[in-house]
Amino acid sequence: MTVREFAALVDRDLRQWVRSPTAIISSLLLPFLYLLLFGQAFNNITGLAASLPAASGGGALSTFSGAPDYYSYFTAGMVGFTLLGTSLFAGANVIFDRRFGVLKKIVSAPVARDVIFGARIFSAVVRGLIFGSFVFVIALAFAHVPGLNGLTVTASVTPVGALEIVLAMVMLTALFTAISVAIGFLIEQIDAFFAVINLVNLPVLFTSSALFPRTLLPPWLKAASDWNPISLASNVVRENLFAAAGSYYPDGPAFYLGVLAIVTVVFGALTTAAVRWSLRPR
Amino acid sequence: MGDAIRAVGLTKVFNGKIRAVAGVSFQVREGEVFGFLGPNGAGKTTTVNMLTTFLRPTEGRATVDGLDVVGEAAEVRRRIGVIFQESTADDQLTGRENLRLAAALYGVGRGKAEAEIARLLGALKLEEAADRLVRTYSGGMRRRLELAAGLVHTPRVLFLDEPTLGLDPQARAGIGDTIRQLRQEQGVTVFLTTHYLDEADQLCDRIAIIDRGEIRAIGTPSELKERIGGDVVTVAPLSDAVDLTAALQRVPGVLAVSRQEGAYRLKATRGETVVPGAVQASLAAGVGLASVSVKRPSLDEVFLEFTGRAYREEEGPTATDWAVRVQRFRGGARR
Repeated sequence: MTVREFAALVDRDLRQWVRSPTAIISSLLLPFLYLLLFGQAFNNITGLAASLPAASGGGALSTFSGAPDYYSYFTAGMVGFTLLGTSLFAGANVIFDRRFGVLKKIVSAPVARDVIFGARIFSAVVRGLIFGSFVFVIALAFAHVPGLNGLTVTASVTPVGALEIVLAMVMLTALFTAISVAIGFLIEQIDAFFAVINLVNLPVLFTSSALFPRTLLPPWLKAASDWNPISLASNVVRENLFAAAGSYYPDGPAFYLGVLAIVTVVFGALTTAAVRWSLRPR
Repeated sequence: MGDAIRAVGLTKVFNGKIRAVAGVSFQVREGEVFGFLGPNGAGKTTTVNMLTTFLRPTEGRATVDGLDVVGEAAEVRRRIGVIFQESTADDQLTGRENLRLAAALYGVGRGKAEAEIARLLGALKLEEAADRLVRTYSGGMRRRLELAAGLVHTPRVLFLDEPTLGLDPQARAGIGDTIRQLRQEQGVTVFLTTHYLDEADQLCDRIAIIDRGEIRAIGTPSELKERIGGDVVTVAPLSDAVDLTAALQRVPGVLAVSRQEGAYRLKATRGETVVPGAVQASLAAGVGLASVSVKRPSLDEVFLEFTGRAYREEEGPTATDWAVRVQRFRGGARR
């Protein structure tokens, strides 16, 4: 009865989460502040982009790969950035579980190791979908607040498109949670864990096109960013929200989803092996 | 009745040199409460970890409920309950939620689990605290919750690693009562480790004395005590007028007589059986008696007898820990 064990572990994870409102609020506060401060400040580059001559790739639409302004472009990336942050810290719970003995109890039960790992990822995906939706809701709401910039959706979003966005969020969260949880199983000290996670966090963010216009990246960085999972997820979001995006991206959302799926499966296999190895009988 | 646990030459070597457990063999019968007694660092927890499939033996083999702990580890896990030294409950869940989690992890169905949880909460006096977060529990309540979590899937064999470590005497007594009750009501086999001599003495049907990775003696508490020469019967006469030594020596069952501070100390395999003879002999010699007492030798003496070292509950662990650390530091093997 693998389902019962899986469900019980997910239930426990989410119960714990719901019971720490401080943690929930602070993890919602970060994207909120980015949307309120960072995005508002940088949206002024929309005007700069619009004033550039068309010959040098100017104009808002071409600078922001089909998004009408920087803020709308940035919102799509903000979803991926938020999911990256919350996923990467999911592994800390493994270290706390180990320290407080809970992991010992779970591991001593006749439960498959993959179920323990999978349940952690599943509950992180549930949380990720809530965080991701929060970003959309706040950015859309800001559009109606006088004096604030907000997300402007220029395409009519189809059910398939919405599903593609959800899938991108699910895979991105699963990917980074798997990496974080595997690191949590391999590293037993919390300070070492945070050091490693910070080492992953910022390079992954800065080699993506989440916060910075893809068109303005130097060629080598653009090449790297095109394969970055956060870029892939952002592409899927942008192509579905902005009518003009299709003509600025070389491939369709299905392609980016496919690449993201391959990356997720490969890392999923690697991290599963790592977790099994860390829990092997000694 | 079969053996619930059988270990043959069980050995664990860490890092190729530290022999934590060195060729341990024993059998635990079904329904028995069996104790591993020894100071910290003696190899008790390592043995438990091998029996509960946590560690792989370096040499030797063991079966639990007839199943091999290496080859059939998954099924062994299903049939055993393990209560660790440290707390394993989730602080941020209530006691009941912790038990539900434990039940689900062992594949117990919802309805059956709820009934069992209600029963255990009652038996372990946790009903009132059941829906409070474990964070608010006292040390004794946490231990009882651990016990409940280890029993929620009605295991065939229960392993308890230092179940009363760090508890006050009242809480210790409570855990002791629960273990006795369990054995009586459910007939579960219990394997426990302890470094409290009195606990081993009171709870266990049989005891193995383990020191430095080796079993020094196995037997019932009274057998072990008998092996070191039996009981001490102290006969205190009303007057010193007559020397009773020779008369008491002739009483059947008396092994030796000595005089100490005006009283006679008789050694006998079973103290109570020589009391009538000793009283009769004294009265026949015309000496009235102030008191007669029978004392069984304590496990302290047993430990001393079999390990050559005095047993110190409080001091022992730290001293052993240090010895291990120093030897690891020097890169030497433990034995």
